[in-house]
Amino acid sequence: MSSPATVESPLLEVRGLASGYGDIRAVWDASLQVRAGEITVLLGRNGAGKTTTLRAVAGLNRADAGSVVLRGRDITGVPPHQRVRAGIGLVQEGKRIFRRRTIEENLLLGGYTRGLNKRKLLVELDPIYEMFPTLAQRRHVASGQLSGGQQQMLAIGQALMAQPSLLMLDEPSGGLAPSVVAEVMATVAALKATGIGILLVEQAVAAALEVADRVTVLDVGRVILDRPAADVAGSDALADAYFGRLR
Amino acid sequence: MTPIWSGLSIGAVYALIAIGYNVVFIAYTTFNFAHAQLMMFAIFVTYWGLVVAQLPVLLIFAIAAVGVGLIALLEEFVAIRPVKGAHAHLVTTLGMATLLDGTTRLIWGDQVLKVPAVGSDATFTLLGGRISAPEVVLVVSVVAIAVAMIVYSRRSLTGLALLAMAEDRDAALLRGINVKRLALGAFVFTGVLAGLTGPLVGPKTFAVSTLAAALALKGFVALAIGGFGSLPGALLGGFLVGLVESLTGRWLGSQLPTIMVFVVLLLILMLKPTGLFGTTRERMV
Amino acid sequence: MALPRQLRALPSWTIPLVLAVLLVAAPWLGISSGTRRLLLLTCILALLSSGLNLSFGYTGELALGQAAMYATGAYLTGYLAMHWVNDLALLVLVAAAAALVVGLVSGVPGLRLGGWSLAMTSFFLVLLVPQFLDLLEHYTGGAVGMVGIPRPRLFGAELSSLDMYVVVALITVCWFAVMRNLITSRHGVAFQVLRESPILASSLGISVYRMKLTAYAIGAIPAGIAGALFAYVDKYLAPHSFGFTLAVTVLAASILGGAKSIYGPFVGAAVMQYGPLRSTEFEQYTQVVYGVFLILAGTLVANGLAGLANRAVARLAARWRPTSDAVVAGEAAPVGPAPDGPALPPLTGARLEVTDVRKRFGGLQALGGVTLTAVPGQITALIGPNGSGKTTLLNVICGYYRIDSGSIHLGDAEITGRSTHDVARAGVARTFQTPLFPEHITVREAVAAGAYSPRHVGMPAAILRLPHYRRAAAADRAEVDDVLRLVGAARLADVEAASLPLGTRRLLEVARALVARPKVLLLDEVASGLDEDEIERLAELIRAIRAAGTTVILVEHNFRLVLDQADAIHVLAQGELIASGTPNEIENHPRVLSEYLGVRQEVRP
Repeated sequence: MSSPATVESPLLEVRGLASGYGDIRAVWDASLQVRAGEITVLLGRNGAGKTTTLRAVAGLNRADAGSVVLRGRDITGVPPHQRVRAGIGLVQEGKRIFRRRTIEENLLLGGYTRGLNKRKLLVELDPIYEMFPTLAQRRHVASGQLSGGQQQMLAIGQALMAQPSLLMLDEPSGGLAPSVVAEVMATVAALKATGIGILLVEQAVAAALEVADRVTVLDVGRVILDRPAADVAGSDALADAYFGRLR
Repeated sequence: MTPIWSGLSIGAVYALIAIGYNVVFIAYTTFNFAHAQLMMFAIFVTYWGLVVAQLPVLLIFAIAAVGVGLIALLEEFVAIRPVKGAHAHLVTTLGMATLLDGTTRLIWGDQVLKVPAVGSDATFTLLGGRISAPEVVLVVSVVAIAVAMIVYSRRSLTGLALLAMAEDRDAALLRGINVKRLALGAFVFTGVLAGLTGPLVGPKTFAVSTLAAALALKGFVALAIGGFGSLPGALLGGFLVGLVESLTGRWLGSQLPTIMVFVVLLLILMLKPTGLFGTTRERMV
Repeated sequence: MALPRQLRALPSWTIPLVLAVLLVAAPWLGISSGTRRLLLLTCILALLSSGLNLSFGYTGELALGQAAMYATGAYLTGYLAMHWVNDLALLVLVAAAAALVVGLVSGVPGLRLGGWSLAMTSFFLVLLVPQFLDLLEHYTGGAVGMVGIPRPRLFGAELSSLDMYVVVALITVCWFAVMRNLITSRHGVAFQVLRESPILASSLGISVYRMKLTAYAIGAIPAGIAGALFAYVDKYLAPHSFGFTLAVTVLAASILGGAKSIYGPFVGAAVMQYGPLRSTEFEQYTQVVYGVFLILAGTLVANGLAGLANRAVARLAARWRPTSDAVVAGEAAPVGPAPDGPALPPLTGARLEVTDVRKRFGGLQALGGVTLTAVPGQITALIGPNGSGKTTLLNVICGYYRIDSGSIHLGDAEITGRSTHDVARAGVARTFQTPLFPEHITVREAVAAGAYSPRHVGMPAAILRLPHYRRAAAADRAEVDDVLRLVGAARLADVEAASLPLGTRRLLEVARALVARPKVLLLDEVASGLDEDEIERLAELIRAIRAAGTTVILVEHNFRLVLDQADAIHVLAQGELIASGTPNEIENHPRVLSEYLGVRQEVRP
């Protein structure tokens, strides 16, 4: 039963989600929410189920239990390509762009759901190039040859081409140099200002906390902490969660 | 020169088969054993249209394209979709190939039927060798089709989506690409392409129920030479196989061409198993 | 109630033996000569299909070349019987050898590129048969066919058609006995491991390429024998008997009977001979029917009639068996090391040295000069964020990836650049992030697979059940039982391994690695997906392995487990080692906190 979205209701609401790969269950009971114009940071140790949660929200992994609700509409059983049209964008970890295709081709593919012809879509690339000028200079370069930071920018730009209302980023700073991490985080903060909701999985906890509005921590597939970011900063709760001292 | 022209024109047919294999390979990472049968069916439809029913040429093209496209659609639903994995597909598509062979035989029998040319069938001398008009049309059309497909795959959004899907299925889904429908489209396209080119191929190969098996093998050799997934490789591989066959027949005797093509296949597999345009990929755990 | 129980207590070869005796004695049981001929043809088709099962069913390579090997055997026998010496025993051997050669020649290139290539080269081979017969017209009679093959003689005595039937039946029975002994031996398990997971096979020290070639080549032998027999039975050979239709018939009989079964091909062949092949009206519909059949068999029927029979038997057995002794996988109580279980026998560890190893994938640096040493009797842990290169390093050690520079030593031997199965044979065993167990294999067989290459026993010994095979099999069984008791899974020995819960399968993977008596044991995220109790049992097992003397390398996400268990910890980030030390040092290492955990100093007071 979907109800019309109101100002108060969150953009994304995940309730009691269970998911995994084959018979290996990685997420047992995850609930979280993301509001429009806000950043929810999803934390947890390696193997805590963060990536699986994002994949289940994107529809790549089946939800064995629980529900995924976007703007009041239950999309739990909707196939992944239709979720993109519904406004969900996922930037997978490890900069999973199409490495054999050029920057421009990758961005065009990002706008695949827009229903525009190629000429019109090419014009739509301009805002992305404006946001990431280095991509504009190398638009006809095979993207596998880009540096790690540029690949991450491209991956984000590609997701933005579909004009998502919810953007999920899986460890966008993974494997990047500290200066590039700062650049990525600045980009994330700028995106938040445009009004879209962001679900951010990060291992660079401190950097992520600086931009976070809400913090959710997973451990062994279950939520062990879910609070506004302001309550979390400076407390021991996080470090304890990471080192397994809660258990 | 005559054997070279003849080799290039039969090579164009092998290239077409290899292109069909390749499109399915790009879309499904699997092998469609029955593709040559689709082509054979189109040739028989052409024979029927021209000789038996005496229909207008354009109508024959249309019937072949739609008919064979529908057969491909059926094949996708019964032999590709229900099973997973290239090995399982080998069995089901081999079943489809055998079924189409048998159906063709039931309808048209075992005779070798001459398929008239859809246009002029004049023969003329080119660079010192004899070549017929249908052969010229065949070679030119196949090169044009291959080039058009290469350009389309790199330039159009749909072509890009297909290549993206071949590279990373999950990532393609996340860009909103309906990979199942796109793959089905590609599969049906191979049927439509076989239907459209059947009338061009028929005069060269004649219509006979054992044709598909021969085409399948030589098409596969063309694919192995060019490399799985490479359209330019398929084109080049097809011409190479055609030339080997034609020149062997001319210089070494009529019993040897097929055996020679087999030797070429063995050599390629031994020396460069990824083909001329193929890429090696590191194994992953 | 009592009868089925007694039946189940009989050895598994009893029923096949009874049927074999019936087959050989059939002429004296009042069958007509027509039926006798059908049985004869069934035997020949069964030989062909059984050979196909070895490569297609058991190792997963679709090969259609059986028809070509059959033709080789038939024509060679026909020619030699007319022009050289007419002795059935000798010519059967010659035909088998010739078919083996054809199998090797066509298998080598076909297997280099994997499944489709073998299917296509062997398919090609079949279509070449008429061409070769034509080319060798002087010897084969070309399209006209070979006529004038004499009646068979055996050791000087001419065989009547009744004698010939008995000979064919006996040879068929012998071949099925060979198949049975091969498949039920450790080699049969190795074939199935290969089919389900080449990666697992090579990590157990099995050379994937050689093993597949072996299966394909052995499968050629019955085809050659069948050819020789057919030449003597029909005394007339023509190209159309050996074409593509035959290849598909063989495949159909194999799939119908069950491609992954020992006796299935005989049933499949019988159905084909009694049904479609007998009626003359059928001929024009052959291909249509076969085509539909292959599609249906490929999509709907799992493992043919044998599969259906097995399921029926299992269902009946479940009904007859009192529920108390039923071991249902899902209901199995938690498994784990038994406190009073046997101790591990002492194991010899070896020092593993990784020196300045570099590896790039395209433009991406996966490992940028990693150096570390793991010593016997210690647990060396490898931790780091996702994508830091842990698994790459593991795969580099195992030989899945070639490194760009650097070296890897095991003890005094360099293992850099060696293939995976070589590294495994040198003494490196591993587990996988997703436990790998082939379907339909019992726990005992799956765990025993660890001993396949360290204590190799040849196929001839297994087929003939020589004393030294029996001794090795008994020793393996004892050792596997010990290891299973150690991990607390002894009572699951006869359950299908793939059906067990994840935690149990992880323990069984460790058990399988232990059976190989490894010098170095690599554990790849062995705790992921386990609950707290399971992790505790696992930790106990890992400690026992360390105590036994093996070098243990633990790649793990679970930081707590690593801190508690490891003797030395190496931390990887972006393909480089950023810290090495004892658990205590690592827990308080500032770079580890900032780089690996991303937690800045000030967050943790």
